[in-house]
Amino acid sequence: MLTVVLQQGINGIVFGSLYVLVALGLTLIYGVLVQINFAHADVVTIGAFAAYFFTFAFGGNYLISIGIALMAGAALGWLVNAAIFAPLRERGNELLPLIATIGVSILLQNAMLLWFGPIPYAFDSPYSNKVIRLWGGTFITLQNLIIVVVSALTIALLYAFMKFTFMGKALRAVSQDRETAGLMGVNPNQLIMLTFVIASALAGMGGAMLGPILVLTPFAGTTVIVKAFAIVIIGGFGNVEGTIIAGLVVGLIESYTTQFVNPGLTDIVVFTLLLLMLALRPTGLIAEKREENV
Amino acid sequence: MSALLQAEGLELAYGEVSACRGVSFHVAEGEIVTLIGANGAGKSSTLRAVAGALLPRAGAIHFRGHDITRLPPYKRTELGISLVPEGRRVFPFLTVRENLELGAFKYRKEGAKVRALMEKVFDMFARLRERQSQNAGTLSGGEQQMLALGRAIMSEPHLICLDEPSLGLAPVVVQDIFRTIKAINAAGTSVLLVEQNARYALETASRGYVLQTGSIIASGSCATLRNDDRVRQAYLGRSAAEQIKL
Repeated sequence: MLTVVLQQGINGIVFGSLYVLVALGLTLIYGVLVQINFAHADVVTIGAFAAYFFTFAFGGNYLISIGIALMAGAALGWLVNAAIFAPLRERGNELLPLIATIGVSILLQNAMLLWFGPIPYAFDSPYSNKVIRLWGGTFITLQNLIIVVVSALTIALLYAFMKFTFMGKALRAVSQDRETAGLMGVNPNQLIMLTFVIASALAGMGGAMLGPILVLTPFAGTTVIVKAFAIVIIGGFGNVEGTIIAGLVVGLIESYTTQFVNPGLTDIVVFTLLLLMLALRPTGLIAEKREENV
Repeated sequence: MSALLQAEGLELAYGEVSACRGVSFHVAEGEIVTLIGANGAGKSSTLRAVAGALLPRAGAIHFRGHDITRLPPYKRTELGISLVPEGRRVFPFLTVRENLELGAFKYRKEGAKVRALMEKVFDMFARLRERQSQNAGTLSGGEQQMLALGRAIMSEPHLICLDEPSLGLAPVVVQDIFRTIKAINAAGTSVLLVEQNARYALETASRGYVLQTGSIIASGSCATLRNDDRVRQAYLGRSAAEQIKL
């Protein structure tokens, strides 16, 4: 019994780490722009395809393909923001960029459908069959160990960037008060671009690691993004720490529901939690503390 | 005459609502100049136009010989304009230290310089040194105002623009803030001060402009303005004029 609990805990953390990678991008963009990016899911899908083609069509190393997917995501984030979102924001309308993210999403999905077709790709990581035995009869596949280690390193790097670099602090400042940050000499447009690039890079690399788990079609990202949205809300919109915790919690809940309740009920449990959070604690898991000012 | 800051014929509006019409003023090197007037007279709008947060419909603003009328705020900071916004607007979830670092954003590649500037601010405001690791949102109103001031001087501005620094603060704290403003000015920074509390403003500044419903109705040295009847009416209100002695 304990073995099962531990084993499902490990599985939950594996899935949770991937959710965190995808959800962090959403929450970063929300924090800076107060806008939902509906095209985020498709960056995940493109990351998965980038990794797939690098590994299978070109015979590249899977680990390197994660880096390729990261760069593909970053490039896509840069392109989409430069070509579409930024010019629309210039017009000062809040709704246009939001709707444009839906448009970009449809465009990307159909472009992929055209190029890659609707038939699922078999994306097997060469590391999926290598099993590492852990304590008490539990185990982790090398693939899942890669997922956990790469995600943890990435999240730690991002956290350090936000906490210790000038640009990271500026990014937090912009998400707290964009106008005042501009008055400090920060160019908000530059920071918004940086946010899109980072968020999309995370989504791309998340896609590379989700690829072997998901059914890889041009719509693969959308299955994850629904959970990522839930995680962003549970963690408190725009809150990085909350998103990390919420992502792991959702991963664990899914894993334990699958094992002990019913695999078909996982989404119901996650979204019930989401509704409960919205009703009882709409600020998210970690409410940012602010004392009343005198 | 080449003033540090020269604004000419500013027309400011929020959508259809006009805030200022034909406002012209200047700040010379080393001066403290104040814009006074009742609530809604257009003082803050004028200051926001100087900082770049509000683009004028017409008119021109020159700073140190540059036409900055349509320059985005972050470029004005690089030229040497710094704003202490109304209501402090410190970043509540950044620490005191991080807030100050943001103030020195234009020196982001010069770590040693940022640390030296921060030491200067900490010498000026001992409270900020004590609380440097605290989130700015947990500070009291007076401490936040000190932080907003400290943050503004982190960019070593030529001109510091203060928007209602006394707003919502206890009188003792207000006196402290105004002493600090004078000290900052004595160290060589010019000051443009917008203030509802005309008494403090006229005591601190050397020259002033009086705004009423979006236009300048009087200007001159603060000593002159203090004795101007129109001025008393404009910023003190008719009934209160008698009760408050300057």
